[in-house]
Amino acid sequence: MSDKGASLPAAQGLETALVGWLKETLQKEIVDALLVPVKVPADDSFAYLLVQNPAVLDRASPLPPVMPIQGGKVISRLTMGGNGNLRIAAVVRPCEARAAIELTKLKQAYLDNLLLITIDCPGVLPLSDYLADPAAGATRFAEAAAQGDRDPMRPVCQICDHFSLRQAPAADLHVGTLGCPEGTVVFVPGSPKGEKVLEEMGMALDAALDDWAGQVDELAQAQTERRQQAHAELGQTIAGADKLLGVFSTCINCHNCQRACPICYCRQCYFESAALKLPPENYMARAELKGALRFSPDTLLFHIGRATHMVLSCVSCGACEDACPMDIPVAQMFSLLADRSQQEMNYVAGESLADVLPLVDYQMDELHHMEQPYVEIYKQEVQDA
Amino acid sequence: MSDGNGFEPKIIYFLCSWCGSGGAETAAAHHLQYPENVIPSRVNCTGALPAVHIVRPLIEGADGVAISGCHPGDCHYNDGNFRARRRVALVKNILNTLGLESDRVWFRYVAHGEGQRFVDTAAEFNDHIKKLGPNPLKTRSDT
Repeated sequence: MSDKGASLPAAQGLETALVGWLKETLQKEIVDALLVPVKVPADDSFAYLLVQNPAVLDRASPLPPVMPIQGGKVISRLTMGGNGNLRIAAVVRPCEARAAIELTKLKQAYLDNLLLITIDCPGVLPLSDYLADPAAGATRFAEAAAQGDRDPMRPVCQICDHFSLRQAPAADLHVGTLGCPEGTVVFVPGSPKGEKVLEEMGMALDAALDDWAGQVDELAQAQTERRQQAHAELGQTIAGADKLLGVFSTCINCHNCQRACPICYCRQCYFESAALKLPPENYMARAELKGALRFSPDTLLFHIGRATHMVLSCVSCGACEDACPMDIPVAQMFSLLADRSQQEMNYVAGESLADVLPLVDYQMDELHHMEQPYVEIYKQEVQDA
Repeated sequence: MSDGNGFEPKIIYFLCSWCGSGGAETAAAHHLQYPENVIPSRVNCTGALPAVHIVRPLIEGADGVAISGCHPGDCHYNDGNFRARRRVALVKNILNTLGLESDRVWFRYVAHGEGQRFVDTAAEFNDHIKKLGPNPLKTRSDT
């Protein structure tokens, strides 16, 4: 990350300024296409559009109040077939950029010809809150974002501490809003690719970043404290078989959390596969053992099993919780599991393309507390009668 | 092998093809005995044991899951045991965070010739699980 940025006047607000800038990149043929959230014709949601005609950008909203589809998933869908030869700039949230990084490591996305642009993220509203009244939601979001108030945002956004480039150095180009003088925003290059685009746009790297960096770090520290406290409280409310099964008791097995998750890329999910569709005798045996068997079975196995598959790459984006029709706090649980397990593996999901996925990599000298120490010639405590 | 209170744990013991199950063979050759409620299950390599197969028995009726593969540097596939150690760490971390007694999962290396160590691990784990008591998930119908 460079220590100088390029200032962009934004008297009409961040979105207008950024859309104007994006239009210019298209017109100057610095990029061939843009992947950017655009308001849908019905005015009640936002969708990622692959834009080649600059006129479409009039309805673009680089920082929409909701996240109906996770941008990492969109980037994966776009680039799954390989790098391609078009230069595309994608405007996404920091967590979406981090998901794109994880998906690239999982060989589900290719970022070579993609320019990732992120923005200091104020969070997003819960999808259901916004859809109840889109116009009021947009106003509520704008006010909260302007004041830095995260309370109306989704629970995982309230405790997010990876909202900027300094904490999530995934993007090629980052738009800083925090700590900037009134009516300006600042472009912070995150990679040589980003620097080159600024150069081609004729923008000099002459703006000091100290104010922005100071504000970001201060907020990040406060957010980290908030996150740890929320996680400690959450840990208390879900720990143990009783509480955990209580949390999942309303689960209707729709698997929406899995479908909305950017990291869950498998074409055939194990938990929907024939491996868990068994002959009736199997269910009878399990019902006999447990006294009864809830149908559909394997709810807890689905959630814990899915956790073993994705938490090491989980970016706490909250897409799962938005997708849950039963309001189960899945994203909060997964953010807790992700933090704890990534910490153990000394890994931060989406931080860098250079970090190897924890289950692909290993160190010979690590995790010795997992190895059960051996007592020479164990004396059995209870002998056979 | 009940503990006198009528609790006989059900234990699944995953053994790799090359070392863990070799340890069991050596134990058999030496007529060493281990608790009958420990059910050995052979997997090709502990590094190939999916995390789901550690979690699933714990939900569906087992009181404990033990895993034994080759000693570090001895893996038939060079690094399977190191990969297994990471995966076990992940599963135990998740179980721990969810308050589901990660102590019900044990990971210990057992070499082909270590029949005694295999028998000791089975017996020690059995006693350990008896002290922990029955797994609360196994009698829950709402899993």
